[in-house]
Amino acid sequence: MIRNVHLIAVRINRQFLRDRRFLGLSLIVPLLLMLLIKYVFESLPGLARLGVHISDYSILLAAYLVHFLAYILSTIVLVRDRVTGTLARMFVYGYRRREIVLGYVAGYSTIAAVQTALVLILTKYLFDIKLASDIVAIVMTVLALAVVSVGLGVFISNFARNEGQVFPFVPMVIIPSALLSGIAIPIPDLPQVLQWCSYLVPLRYAVDVLRGVVLENRSFFDELTPFFVLVGVGAALLASASLSLRERE
Amino acid sequence: MSAASSTPPAIAIETLEKRYGDIRALKGARLTVAPGQIFGLVGPNGSGKTTLIKAICGILKPDRGSVRVLGLDAGHDRYAVRKRLGYMPQTPALYDDLSPAENLQFFGGGFRLPDLNDRLRAVLEFVQLWDRRNDPLFTFSGGMRQRISLACALLHDPELLILDEPTAWVDPALRQDFWDHFSELRSRGRTIFLSTNQMDEAMRCDQVTIILNGKVLVTETPESIHDRGKAKVTLDLSDARRTEEFANYEEELPRLLTEYGLGPQVKRISLKRQTLEEVILSLIGESIAGEEQSTESQSGKQAQP
Repeated sequence: MIRNVHLIAVRINRQFLRDRRFLGLSLIVPLLLMLLIKYVFESLPGLARLGVHISDYSILLAAYLVHFLAYILSTIVLVRDRVTGTLARMFVYGYRRREIVLGYVAGYSTIAAVQTALVLILTKYLFDIKLASDIVAIVMTVLALAVVSVGLGVFISNFARNEGQVFPFVPMVIIPSALLSGIAIPIPDLPQVLQWCSYLVPLRYAVDVLRGVVLENRSFFDELTPFFVLVGVGAALLASASLSLRERE
Repeated sequence: MSAASSTPPAIAIETLEKRYGDIRALKGARLTVAPGQIFGLVGPNGSGKTTLIKAICGILKPDRGSVRVLGLDAGHDRYAVRKRLGYMPQTPALYDDLSPAENLQFFGGGFRLPDLNDRLRAVLEFVQLWDRRNDPLFTFSGGMRQRISLACALLHDPELLILDEPTAWVDPALRQDFWDHFSELRSRGRTIFLSTNQMDEAMRCDQVTIILNGKVLVTETPESIHDRGKAKVTLDLSDARRTEEFANYEEELPRLLTEYGLGPQVKRISLKRQTLEEVILSLIGESIAGEEQSTESQSGKQAQP
């Protein structure tokens, strides 16, 4: 199994490196978006008067960006594989469902890891924040979130027959992630029903860890519970993606 | 019991049904393919050829019926079946950003072939693209991609080759090479199941199945399908022309000739047999007309009080 997972991950990364335009966009767009966020929010004088400093939220926004891009990327590419027939060919050539799901997660998580590293480096310098003590917690959390996002993308892609059908699923994940994860509105400020709903949003657990470590100066060990829930959500998504991946039409 | 009789059919399909929403893609299709044959599947677009091929490869879950491949259940035993068959889909289904060598290494990797690099070279040389093995596939023409797709299907030297329109987009010279190779594979006991819209290719098959609207119309040798066709005989007489159509011209032609005694008044005799394509088209036409008639009579019966 590991050999086939490795073959798929290598193939994905090889394709990614060959497609220079896609590679450039995937790596440069998150950086440009972080720049945009900085300049838009810094140009709002009202925020500073309210005591809101965008630099405090920069890591949370970076995590959101990684989540969004990794999710979209993995959803579209697996659907493309289904449309072009390469997914069916993989099945006929001996690849199993779990190998394909894990192979995609391994392949796209590598790409997401590079995205994560670039975004975190830019965030650190752009917002002039100190990450020295938190860096392990932040990197591990954002990487776990990237894997969860890829797993979510693979899972969602099972319900789309073509690239066009992917688009309705984009806001279905991205908007609840923005509103119910605790990035924009602290979860205790939400109505009770929405607080319960927030448990269904994977980004919430990453935000819990990052809020604790970055904004509230707690140690990573204090935030292990949401971190392991995030890992558990990732494992559940991968299992669901594997079970729901249609091998036979 | 002889060894031949104990060998299971390469493919045995029984009352196969598949529905996509309101569309019934397969309506009780059944056919048997003996091992060591080149078996052709012929039918108009949308007749169910690709659906049938997917069922054989175990990538389609039928609603009803059974598909046995090399003696195994194509659904339940699909992992064992797939190791023994080579599949070439209608579209190339390859990764455009990768080279032929990388594509073949990736797909061949799933089978863990110990001699993958030797096999890769052999199949790429066969499709005459060894020199382009490291170029990205997006620089290839449609026909060249088809050749790589065929190379991929041949990579593990399978017992059964399932080819969905393998020579579409391929130039005539290479098409001949493909067919020479198919004949060579048959002589080594391999079975080839292919769909085609080329009637000259259908004539080269050992058996041909005509499929229409998800049902098998007929499975026979191409010669016997051709023999179902009519022949048009025209006699140019000194003062008239007489044309007759015979279903069985070999038996009926002597009667016509006896009638005229082949005297000097017969200036010219011409005989034109229907081509295989015309025979297949008339079989399809007859079947459609029969279905329409039965639908009309059924709706007529329902309309009666």
